[in-house]
Amino acid sequence: MAMRQFLVRRLLQGILVIWGVVTVLFGLRAVSPGDPATLMLGEGANRELVERVREEEGLNEPIYVQYLDYVGGLLQGDLGYSWQSNRDVTAMVIERIPATIELTIAATIVAIVIAIPLGVVSATRRNEPSDYGATLFSLLGISTPNFWLGLMLILVMSVWFGIPYPTMSTATVPVGAVRIPYPSYIGYDFYGFPTGRRGVGFPDAMRALVFDQSASELGAWLRYITLPALTLGTYFTALITRLTRSGMIDELGKPYVTATKAKGLPNPLIRYKHVLRNTMIPIITVLGLQMGTLMGGAVITETVFNWPGLGLRLVDALRIRDWPLMQGIIIFIALAFIVINIVVDALYTKLNPQVSAE
Amino acid sequence: MKGANNYTTNRRNVLRYTAGASTIGLASLAGCIGDADDDEGNGNGNGNGNGNGNGNGVDADELTITLSQFPDTIDPLDHITGDYFDIYDHIYEPLFDFVPGEGIFPRVAEDWEPQDNGTTEVYLREGVSFHNGDTLTAEDVAWTINRTVDPDIGVQSPIGTFGLGSITGADAVDDTTVAINYNASAGLAEFEFGNYARAMNRQWAIDNYDAENEAISGADPEDFNGTGPYQVVDFVSGEEIVVEAFDDYWGDEPPFETVTFNASGESSSRVAALETGEADVTMNILPEDVNTVQEAEGVDIRNITSFRTIFCPMKNTVAPFDSQDFRQAMNYAVDNDAIVNEILSGFGEPTSQPVAPGINGYNPDLEPYEQDIGRAESLVEDSGYGGAEITLTAPQGRYLNDAAIGERVADMIDQLDNVSCEVDIVDFPVVSDANQAGVDPDEFDIPFYMIGWGTITGDTDYGVQGFFTIPDNPARTFDDEELSDAILETQQIDDVEERTAALQDVNAMAREKAPFVFLHTQESIYGAESSLEWEPREDETIYVWEMSR
Repeated sequence: MAMRQFLVRRLLQGILVIWGVVTVLFGLRAVSPGDPATLMLGEGANRELVERVREEEGLNEPIYVQYLDYVGGLLQGDLGYSWQSNRDVTAMVIERIPATIELTIAATIVAIVIAIPLGVVSATRRNEPSDYGATLFSLLGISTPNFWLGLMLILVMSVWFGIPYPTMSTATVPVGAVRIPYPSYIGYDFYGFPTGRRGVGFPDAMRALVFDQSASELGAWLRYITLPALTLGTYFTALITRLTRSGMIDELGKPYVTATKAKGLPNPLIRYKHVLRNTMIPIITVLGLQMGTLMGGAVITETVFNWPGLGLRLVDALRIRDWPLMQGIIIFIALAFIVINIVVDALYTKLNPQVSAE
Repeated sequence: MKGANNYTTNRRNVLRYTAGASTIGLASLAGCIGDADDDEGNGNGNGNGNGNGNGNGVDADELTITLSQFPDTIDPLDHITGDYFDIYDHIYEPLFDFVPGEGIFPRVAEDWEPQDNGTTEVYLREGVSFHNGDTLTAEDVAWTINRTVDPDIGVQSPIGTFGLGSITGADAVDDTTVAINYNASAGLAEFEFGNYARAMNRQWAIDNYDAENEAISGADPEDFNGTGPYQVVDFVSGEEIVVEAFDDYWGDEPPFETVTFNASGESSSRVAALETGEADVTMNILPEDVNTVQEAEGVDIRNITSFRTIFCPMKNTVAPFDSQDFRQAMNYAVDNDAIVNEILSGFGEPTSQPVAPGINGYNPDLEPYEQDIGRAESLVEDSGYGGAEITLTAPQGRYLNDAAIGERVADMIDQLDNVSCEVDIVDFPVVSDANQAGVDPDEFDIPFYMIGWGTITGDTDYGVQGFFTIPDNPARTFDDEELSDAILETQQIDDVEERTAALQDVNAMAREKAPFVFLHTQESIYGAESSLEWEPREDETIYVWEMSR
């Protein structure tokens, strides 16, 4: 099937999925407890005002009219207004996207950087202590809940292990703080990790680096993102380690490996140049797919670290039953997931011509 | 071939970069792990060192307050959430100083005088400036009050429906005199405007934000403009707001030059921020996290019984709750001391009436119902409802350990030989809906539920009228003419002391009629850096100007 046809088909499927998500969300909102007008105005609000809000917001209309209104708004890019803050939901979603993308990418990098070497070592030293170690690490990574790992990292790396100072360049060094060695050319001393928040965004850090030749913003960014990225990346790390291990084991048993060995190529060359290369295709696919999952799954990590991304906003919206905001965020996550899926599928067929677009 | 070559090149690059990144990453990781191991001894010592850090590293001019929720709006009238006030009151200061248990005192408003016609004239201080340099006028204050209470102007403000319930509007009499109009007694109105009157800059708000039609929004420090002791210098929406002392402030210089407000929804994260010195004050610490703070050096717990009471309404239009004997029996069945001690780790106080101590009209002579199983069983028999089967509906996650408390209350009632009680743990909106559903048995499904109420105006009226008054109140939870009339009478008593005494009688009547199972007043638990001199307030408000080092 031609790529164009494939893409059109996937796009249509994607639209169908989004429509399903929108409809299910709307249905849930309709059957969920809590009168929207009362939720907007608070417990015990003046009945007259509650009625007026119900009227103005169209909450007295039949449910199908409300549904059509909502879908009609969505088609024009209107996600509605937050019940809590009266702000445009689209703007509230957009302003949180950069933080979530930053965290997702950082977590992915953490996963790649740790998982691939671990997987290779594990596959090439099967049934040796390093293999058991890597397998145990994977098992722990998959079974450790994010909220627990996050809290433990905060406890150890922030509370026990140094006093973080957000404005490192000017702050007095706290007594008793442990200086973690850090390359001196960065011009930035390191005293443990903050317990949460974002501190500085990556674009600002890069702007400071490029225009002011100052690395301190980048240093601050790294300090703030490290623990959340490790937390979010750990589950992913475990997954990729296992995938790399099994992929490598499969490849190592193939005839071309025997042939290269027979040719007298050194083992590291065989492993990293030939075998790992062939193992990478499924890993790249999973990486792509998992990024969508990560965006949705960052909810807990963002909450624990107070990371101002979509996940934290979703939890805040859930706490106060702000349905328009909840819907907006979930629709965006679904959309991101679908787009990433389509892109990965397209890349997959591109990367491996043996796989047809079927 | 070209495509194939490209593909190979790309993949090779990917692999090369991946391998490179992996090597660097592993090396860094190894370095970190090595460091961690090397420094382990120091690391533990550093745990103690936190105390040093907090003590010695403290900057006397800076303060960081970590709240549990960061405002999602920057319009000071667009919300009635305590966390929001904790930030915005420093920028858009209240016109009066409200002192819990005592009343209101001059601030921006120097004096006030009730007139005879449902109006109080408020006389503003001269020379009060907004942060943008404009002078505060009576016109600004009148407009702000109208924008709060009039649904046709600005935002549909919950402050208007809750805090300023009896206020109907305001007019500027001259440059510094505002006439506030209300439809109840002057005493009641005073509690309301004493708490909720603020001033926005009318012209600035209309010109820049179309504030008569919508909420103020924006993402820059210039989007804030009040008369408060602090002005905004840095604002990252959803993350942090930094304020600095306002040079032209009319009053005393505030105690800290710079104050940073941020928020974290997790109690454990707030505690960690306190322990590391990232936060100087934090709030809503869960009882289970209290020990952690107490054991850490350089920080301590500050707690106070708040204005928020927790109770279980019983709608008396259905059996068995239509019997006063039965309702009293439910109160005698519950051991509130045990609940406070065992589920709230002592952070609470059993209640005897609808409102908390410190509220105007609180009756200090009333004792909480003591658990007395024999008396409870006998009252149930007297009510004629022996063998009754009831269900208590309780929320989860809204109040301190609410679900556990609901289960315990139901269990205690179930211990009675002649009553069977089950518990239904639900999301808070279910309870909120039950509370709003009124007393017509056709309109509600849940007659017995657990809920909390913060009497935010500091006056008993706000704690009782929504639950007990009958005319024009379809959301009441109790149908009793005598109690309703008593409350309505208090609303028209102008003499302050007479009104307070009448409200005390209302509370006594409410205890006797037992419209609720009275449980406890909830404790507000804060963590604070030890050298900070500050006592928390019953009304859950955090004012930096009440702190010092």
